[in-house]
Amino acid sequence: MERLKKIRNFCIVAHIDHGKSTLADRLIEKTGTLAKRDMQAQLLDSMELEREKGITIKLTPTKMNYTFEGVDYELNLIDTPGHVDFTYEVSRSLAACEGAILIVDASQGVEAQTLANAYLAIDNNLEILPVINKIDLPSARPEEVKQEIEDVVGVPAMHAPCISAKDGTNIEQVLEMIVKEFPCPKGSETEPLKALIFDSYYDNFKGAICLVRVFDGTVKVGDKISMMQTGKQYEVTEVGVFVPSAKAVDVLRAGDVGYIAGSIKTISDVAVGDTITHSANPCKEALPGYKKVQPVVYCGIYLVDGSKYNELKDALEKLKLNDASLEYMPEVSEALGFGFRCGFLGLLHLEIITERIEREFNLDIITTAPGVSYLLHKTNGEVLEISNPSKWLSPVEIAYVEEPVVKASIFTPPEYVGAIMELAQEKRGISNGLVYLDKTRVRVDYTLPLGEIVYDFFDSLKSRTKGYASFDYEMAGYMQSELVRVDILLNGEKCDALSLIVHKDKAYTRGRAIAEKLKKIIPRQLFEVPIQACIGNKIIARETVSQMRKDVLAKCYGGDITRKRKLLEKQKEGKKRMRQFGSVELPAEAFISILKLDNDE
Amino acid sequence: MKKIRIYVHVPFCESKCSYCDFASFVCGEDLKQKYFAKLVQEICGCKYKDREVQSVYFGGGTPSSVDEKYIISVMKCLRHNFTFSNNAEITIECNPASESLDKLKKYRELGINRISFGVQSLNDNTLKFLNRRHTKKDAVEAIKDAQKAGFENISADLIIGVSESQEDLIDSAKQLLNLGVKHISAYMLQIEEGTPLYNAYQNNNSIVPSEDYCVGMYDRLVVFLTERGFCHYEISNFALPCYQSQHNLGYWRLDDYIGFGLSAHSFVDGVRFANSNNFNDYFEDKNITREVLTAQQKIEEKIMLGLRCQEGVSIKDLLNLGYDIMTNPNLSNFVENGIIILQKNGKTPDKITINPAYYGVSNSIIVKLLP
Repeated sequence: MERLKKIRNFCIVAHIDHGKSTLADRLIEKTGTLAKRDMQAQLLDSMELEREKGITIKLTPTKMNYTFEGVDYELNLIDTPGHVDFTYEVSRSLAACEGAILIVDASQGVEAQTLANAYLAIDNNLEILPVINKIDLPSARPEEVKQEIEDVVGVPAMHAPCISAKDGTNIEQVLEMIVKEFPCPKGSETEPLKALIFDSYYDNFKGAICLVRVFDGTVKVGDKISMMQTGKQYEVTEVGVFVPSAKAVDVLRAGDVGYIAGSIKTISDVAVGDTITHSANPCKEALPGYKKVQPVVYCGIYLVDGSKYNELKDALEKLKLNDASLEYMPEVSEALGFGFRCGFLGLLHLEIITERIEREFNLDIITTAPGVSYLLHKTNGEVLEISNPSKWLSPVEIAYVEEPVVKASIFTPPEYVGAIMELAQEKRGISNGLVYLDKTRVRVDYTLPLGEIVYDFFDSLKSRTKGYASFDYEMAGYMQSELVRVDILLNGEKCDALSLIVHKDKAYTRGRAIAEKLKKIIPRQLFEVPIQACIGNKIIARETVSQMRKDVLAKCYGGDITRKRKLLEKQKEGKKRMRQFGSVELPAEAFISILKLDNDE
Repeated sequence: MKKIRIYVHVPFCESKCSYCDFASFVCGEDLKQKYFAKLVQEICGCKYKDREVQSVYFGGGTPSSVDEKYIISVMKCLRHNFTFSNNAEITIECNPASESLDKLKKYRELGINRISFGVQSLNDNTLKFLNRRHTKKDAVEAIKDAQKAGFENISADLIIGVSESQEDLIDSAKQLLNLGVKHISAYMLQIEEGTPLYNAYQNNNSIVPSEDYCVGMYDRLVVFLTERGFCHYEISNFALPCYQSQHNLGYWRLDDYIGFGLSAHSFVDGVRFANSNNFNDYFEDKNITREVLTAQQKIEEKIMLGLRCQEGVSIKDLLNLGYDIMTNPNLSNFVENGIIILQKNGKTPDKITINPAYYGVSNSIIVKLLP
């Protein structure tokens, strides 16, 4: 049989928690790619954080060998993230595949991201194989869910394997269907090399590594290659496949999924979506590639210990190596000193990056409240894009403001529709209608300001629907809005890192809540510290941290001196976690605390 | 001749107070005998006998709780081994419940010239709450007896922050002054882990007044004592002119001192060392801790101790230790806000002191003035 006919490239897409990584593990185990003793739960989630949070962040390809009806097949699986923040990464992996397994939880049915990811796969002309997972659950209703997939997603699902990835039930059937249902790659080894970079990561020894899907031609060590978009040229030092750890091979051919290393010094030279070809014999045109992804959520990242600025810069650079979607640029805050304004794909992405900075680089950081990027139309006709509230203009200069909005679809059992509508209303949502998918599921559509989603939409949605609702959104341009900047004054001085942009109707309550929260967080100091929230010059809330009266009036004689000095040294150490703002000392938590208002209130 | 101060620790009490976490024990005569024998031996073996003694302080515990023969033996041993300066201040701490006119006379004969009474309060309810063994009547009598025995330099301790009114506290102070007490040490009650008071406090925080109320007590006491001619020469110490405790001032001026006895601390030639607080270790000279101060630590101590006192810290002394405190931006900020007072000698700044109104928060101030 022709070589290409024995290759299947596919990915797994699903709503978060429907079991992508568990199925991936079972496939690897079943095909004997790894011995059972080498297996650890969620094998492909190699980051500590991924395993801990039970989510997949990075794409991880794996090559498996599978024998069906006497023929040895090569199956290349690309695991994908399920969280809405990482939709972009999903779409990248889709372009490297011919088929997608669409996992649906047998009890939960179709969820928001099931649909979003299924549509992405359809848009990429992928063959879709629905798989019903978690049939071991007592609440499983596989037949209904199959019907739901046909009705809601619109792909045939009656033949879908019903499996339990956890127990290993019916995994064989999935493997068979991969071979039977998914088309084999097209392409030719004799054509000039054409390989798509669908991801990259940085290896301390080998440099930047390109994860590629070869569409045409072959590539081997020693080949001179060039990146069609950036024009950069390299000599290949290694090619290989993932089994699932990286393993060097002699050559990668059309249809293969693997990696190429070429002593590429910086990851920024590797543009994901770029096409690799031979320098001497280039292909005629590059693959379509990807749209550059735009960050949607921004926050400032600063250090508790300002002297480690270079270490933070280093950390961001290293993280960027493996995460092209992370954006950052230097910024200075009066309150926090030197730091970076960083752009993220969403709140989870932000959370992951900040956690990684703290864990992997051992840096104590202060993050400012996440916000979005606004369009400020000036009275003189100029338009500014502003993601840092402290750059906001004075009201007289602003003609009007536009804020980014999203089209959100919320999937929910009907009993929570009321609660969701109420929430959406609070979040300034505009209803786009309501669709009954079947007896048990409703899709509620809203246009919502992204800024409101960033704030605490997920948590509120989860708590108000007892976790039954799922949510997906896509960016939907900008909308004119009446927004104002709320400033926080400490001891009469504006603390730039605490400013935030709020809708005018909410400014008063938000300002008051922040002032109250800060009063709880700022310790008593040598001076009385007035906390004021204001819009422009108008004060909308005021609280006071009363003066500290006593820290110690204890005695200190011969036997107390050593102990006392040590105590003092410890206190001095503790001061390092405090930020000096004018004469006010602010604990690092103050800056994050203003985000967490609604959870307490 | 190099100088030295001597501290003698008497770790015995007749009962343990509810707030006490010091090395003090209620125990039998055998141990006391053994202890004082060791103490005498320790004094005899001291390496610094060539120094002139400026002051001696018997602290505890309750030095007055033990038979006077022990104090006599220690004093004799000290005099035998050391040269005393003419006006050496010799203090003994006394519990009003364990003194007698007879005992006080004996102390006087030994050359002890200062008595510090652990009065704490002249309110019987407060004394009961603290589990003190004496009553107001005992305290008044003790002070009168001391005067009869020939003591003029009498100090009394007062405790602040117990559940009594601010008026009660001032009332105690007023009576002490009327009795002729020359020196007052006023401490804020510290609730230390492991004490009975700590456990009671965990169950019910309201057994002591609020922080603000306690500070109010302190502030009122400061005003009262200053009006009566007492100088507030250290955060918790007040004295009529010439009645400051020389021994304690020595600690804050970083004078050399040597401590004898259980858990006693010493500071000689820039080295701090301390005996174990375990009797068996002490008897066998085990677990003596020793710390040679680094340049940084010397500066820290200089600031920490100097700023506790009215006399403050000499800027030049700090410069000699390698720290130019005038370059610390927090200092100028404090001076601007009247928290730190810059004393000038002619036109050049000479010393810094904490404005007494901010004594209560001295820790927070000191931390920010460290190098």
